[in-house]
This record gives sequence, structure tokens and C-alpha cells, in this order.
Amino acid sequence: MGGASEAVARVGEEPDVVTGESAPAARAPAGQASAGWKVLPIVEGLVLLIALVLPWVLQDYLTVFATRVVILALFALSFDLVWGYAGIMSFGQALFFGAAGYGVALMARDLNVTSILLILPAGTLIGLTAALLLGGFLLLGRYPSSVIFVSLGTLTGSYAADRLARGWYYLGGQNGIPSIPPLTLGNYEFEEGPVYYYMVLGILVVVYLLCRFLVRSQFGLALAGLRENEQRIAFFGYKAQHLKAIIFAVGGTIAGLAGSLYAFHEGFVWPNMLGVVFSTQVVLYVLFGGSGTLIGAVIGTVIIEGVSFWLSDNYRDVWPIILGVLLLLVIMFRPLGLISFVLGERERVGSFGKAPSKESGNAAP
Amino acid sequence: MASTFAAVFEIVSFGAIIVLVVLGLGIIASMMGIFNFAQGEFVLLGAYVTYLAYAHGAPVWAGMVAAPFVVGAIGFVLEALIIRRFYAAPIVAMLGTYALGLIIRESVRGLIGGFYLTVPEPIGGSIDLGSVHISAWRFTIIVITLLVMGACYLLLARTSFGLRVRATLENPALARASGISTPLIYGATFAFGAALAGLAGALIVPVFSLFADLGIRFLIQGFVAVMVGGVGSFIGPVAGAGVIGTLSAALPWVMSPVVADVLVFVLAIAFIKFRPQGLIAGKGV
Repeated sequence: MGGASEAVARVGEEPDVVTGESAPAARAPAGQASAGWKVLPIVEGLVLLIALVLPWVLQDYLTVFATRVVILALFALSFDLVWGYAGIMSFGQALFFGAAGYGVALMARDLNVTSILLILPAGTLIGLTAALLLGGFLLLGRYPSSVIFVSLGTLTGSYAADRLARGWYYLGGQNGIPSIPPLTLGNYEFEEGPVYYYMVLGILVVVYLLCRFLVRSQFGLALAGLRENEQRIAFFGYKAQHLKAIIFAVGGTIAGLAGSLYAFHEGFVWPNMLGVVFSTQVVLYVLFGGSGTLIGAVIGTVIIEGVSFWLSDNYRDVWPIILGVLLLLVIMFRPLGLISFVLGERERVGSFGKAPSKESGNAAP
Repeated sequence: MASTFAAVFEIVSFGAIIVLVVLGLGIIASMMGIFNFAQGEFVLLGAYVTYLAYAHGAPVWAGMVAAPFVVGAIGFVLEALIIRRFYAAPIVAMLGTYALGLIIRESVRGLIGGFYLTVPEPIGGSIDLGSVHISAWRFTIIVITLLVMGACYLLLARTSFGLRVRATLENPALARASGISTPLIYGATFAFGAALAGLAGALIVPVFSLFADLGIRFLIQGFVAVMVGGVGSFIGPVAGAGVIGTLSAALPWVMSPVVADVLVFVLAIAFIKFRPQGLIAGKGV
């Protein structure tokens, strides 16, 4: 990567080349942020604060629900990295989520392994391996793959995995694998509730910070360039396909981590976790909240899951229709998601790498 | 001998169903560059219209005749209101049509509940060929598929409407300069694709019965078929659909159905990877 990083530095000096263009197919609305005020850290701080005090306010069964939302937010983060930052439409992100879930469920069932120190690395590794295999096949090769091929390829992969899990007796068929024992650390068992919640929240915060560092680094700048104009990035001397495969693998890794946490939290895995249902669900979260901003993915997950939970008692039948209408409206009129109501274009694009002396130069659209 | 013939009939009749479903999908993808995620729901709507006609006492065949027109009209309106905004961005079009499909599917689910509703075959019974009995309705589907394929081909290749559609596909700017109203052509093409899906839904509902997830079952198979056949021509997706339909019906006869199911997708994706232009490359009819 020596030559590549040199090229990154050169791109960094000419920010108007790649930054400042809008997100995938987006006409950016003017934001309210002025140069001096940063909205993003405030939003992030608020979300974290709310997340921290939540278990004290909520009843127990709601804390269990909140834990699920936090895990799904982690999953959404993985999709946001791949789509929002690198512009790879992964319609099959649930493949990595579910594969890791099934993998750790099998470890617990057949090998009696429940230690968190083994389970989480294993799930992460399964996600990484699956993403490397699928991403390597779809993205690498002599001919660059078209966007359509990658999106339909990932969708098909996830669908095929779903069908496989449904038909394979060893994986429990339609019913999946029930009654997974709790996650353990030594003699301690992680039961559903506040402890599991804070453990998951801690993981989310760490992963979030790592992602934030990644997308604001020079690597993130190259990714943004990839999203905006792949050909131009290739002309700069990058291996565009390699960059894509790397970020795809990173996304798969995070999805794998989320999947293994989800499997142990719910106590069972079932074929939907691998298939089109979860794959499209995660797309909804990210589009709704705002792709291309990490916090947007988290907020989208919280809002969709929260409203869905709230409505599902009385309006179970109508909710999916409302969700579809809302999604259509967001795609048509707010392509940058809900976060774009508070977050300005300048700040969304942001700056990359270490802040130089003339920071405004990097952030200028 | 008899069982071989029965197997071949099964395979051909399933292939015909896939071709019928993919026809509309392929026309929209080839002529407009949009992978329509709502296509499965258009199939569902066609099936639902047929069921409605049957439930209100009309003969089943009347519902089947009405279905393509109703679904085509719905498609025309949706194109004018929504799809039109997505032409520039194929990925956004996927997401938008997905949302549209979600709305249609869940609305139909709300209307019919979680049931499997059956619609009788308008032509029941079986055709006896010696010791072999084949379903008369499945045979009718094969015949109608062939007729529809021929009609579509003639429409696109031999009529002035087809010429305009192809001109719009090849070079929209030049088509506009020549006095062709491209928005109207896009609208008509989309409506035509939707109508074909409606027809497919109407014809297959006696075989599969009506339930909300009827369309999804065919959607991904349809996409894979279009990619295998090659986007850009009329013949390509049809050929792809023939291959995928035949494979998915034939493989379960020689191996375990679960493996066959997955193998079809893996083979298809691998094929597209190494031959991105598909079976039949090039634009036109």
C-alpha cells in the first residue's frame, strides 16, 4: 500500500477533486450548520447520553428490547460503511450477520462453547471469512463488476443461504436452532437485561469510534472518492476493486460481530436472519436515518425499531405499509435521510486525515 | 418412458411459468434500465384481481382477461408518479421500487389476511396421452406463454410502436429530436411490462394459489434469469428465463432439492461473473 498511501496524500492536497460532491444520487439540502458550530458531535453525544441512562428509566422487558436495537444498530453500521461510504450496494448484508449467528449457535450446541472470549472472535472471523469469499468473488477479477451485478449478486447470495438453511436438517430447517445457552465469562452468565445491554453498548461505542476514525482517515477519503467517481479514483492509481473488497470485508466483520451477539441475546437463530428479510431491513434503517453518516445509521435503527415496537400492538397490519410509504417519501424527497434535517452538507462531507493548518480548505464543498 | 415424459412436461411447464414472469421484468430492465423490485408484486396483483373476479361470481377466465389491463393501468400511473424520478440512478430505482413493492404486498396481505386462497382452473381436468395424464391447465399455460412470447416479439420487432421503443432505448436524445415523446414511451413500456406480470399472476394463481408472498418467490429467480440472459435485448431475458426455469425444475430430479435450489443460484452468479454480457449480448430485439 506504499504507493497508494502516497497517492492518498496527493489527493488530500486537492480536496476539490473528490470531496464536496453529493452522496449517491442526492441533491443535498442546505444545512443549518455554520462553520463554527459542529452539529455532529452534539447529536452523537446526545444519542450516547440517552443510551447510557436508558436502563434506569425503562422496565426490564424494555431493556431487553433496547439491547436488541443496539445490536441491530451495530449491524446497520456495517451496512452504512459499505453503502454510505464506499457506494457498494450490499443487498445481502444479512448473509454475514446470519452466518455468524448460525456459526456461534452451532459452537454452543455441538461444542458447548459459550465463553464470550471465544464466541465473539469466532463470530467476527466467520463474518470476515464470508465477506472475503463473497466480496472477493463479486468484486475482484479482471473485469470491474457493475453496480447492478454486485447488488443482485449479494441479494442472491443471501437468498440462497436462506434457502439452504431452511432445507438443511443439520441447521434445524425452518425452525432454526433453538435454546442457545447464555454467553459466559468464566462462571458469570450474561442474562438478558442491563448487563447485556451495557456490554453491547460498549461494543457499539468502540466499533463506532473505530469506524469514525476509519472513514475520517485518508482511507476514508479514498472511499468517498470511490463512491463519487470510481473511474477517477482508478486514474489516480488506486486499485479501486481492492479498496472495495477491503471495506466490504470490514463491513462483513462488523455484521458477523453483531450476528453473534444477536444469536446469544435472542437465544435462537432462524433462517430469516440470513435472508432477504434482514438484508432489506438493514437497508431501511440506514436509508431512513441517513446513509453516509455513521450516526444516521444508528438513529434510523432506533427510530424504525422503536416505532415498530410501539405500533405493533395496535397497528400490526398497517405498520409495514406505513413503513413502505415513509421509505418511499425519504427516497424521493430526502435522499440523505432524516439526519439531513439537522446536519449540513458541509459537515456531512467533513474533512479527512489529520487536520492541516487550513482546515476549512479541506471541508469546503 | 411414461415417467420420463411426465418429468419433461413438469420441467417445460415450470420453465414456461418462469418465462412468463420474466418477460415483463426483462422488458422493463432491457428497455428502461430499471431492475423493478415491485415486479413480483405486479404478479401478485394480477393474481389478486383474478381472485376478486372469482370471489364476486364472475367466471375465472374473465378475471384473467381483466388482470393485465388493471395491472397495466396501475403500472402506468405508478410510472408517472414515482418511477419517473429514478431513471438517472439505477440503485435508487431498486430501492424505490422495493419500497413500492413493500406497500403493495403489505396492502394485499391486509386485504386477504394470512390465508392461502384457491382459485379453480378455468380449464380443468387432464389430457390423456396413452398412459400419461398431463394437467390441461398447465398445458394451456405453455401454449399461452408461446403465444405471448410471439406477440411481444412481433410488437417490438414489427410495429411502429416497437420501433419507437427501441429508438428510445438506443438513443433517447436522438429519439426526442425525431419527435418521439420519450416520457410517453417509457410510461407505455413500463405499463406493458406490468401488464405482462399481471397476466403471469392471473395464469399461475390456480397452480400456486393466492398468498401475499406469491411474487417474492419469483422475483430473485427472475432477476437472475435476466442477468444470465443479458440485459438490453428482448430475446436475452427470455433465453435466460428458459435456462433458469428449466434448470430449477430439472435439477431436483437428479439431486437433493435443497442442493439443487442453491446450486442454480451459484451457477448463475458464476456464469454472470465470467460473462457479464449474458447469453445473448447486444441491444435491440
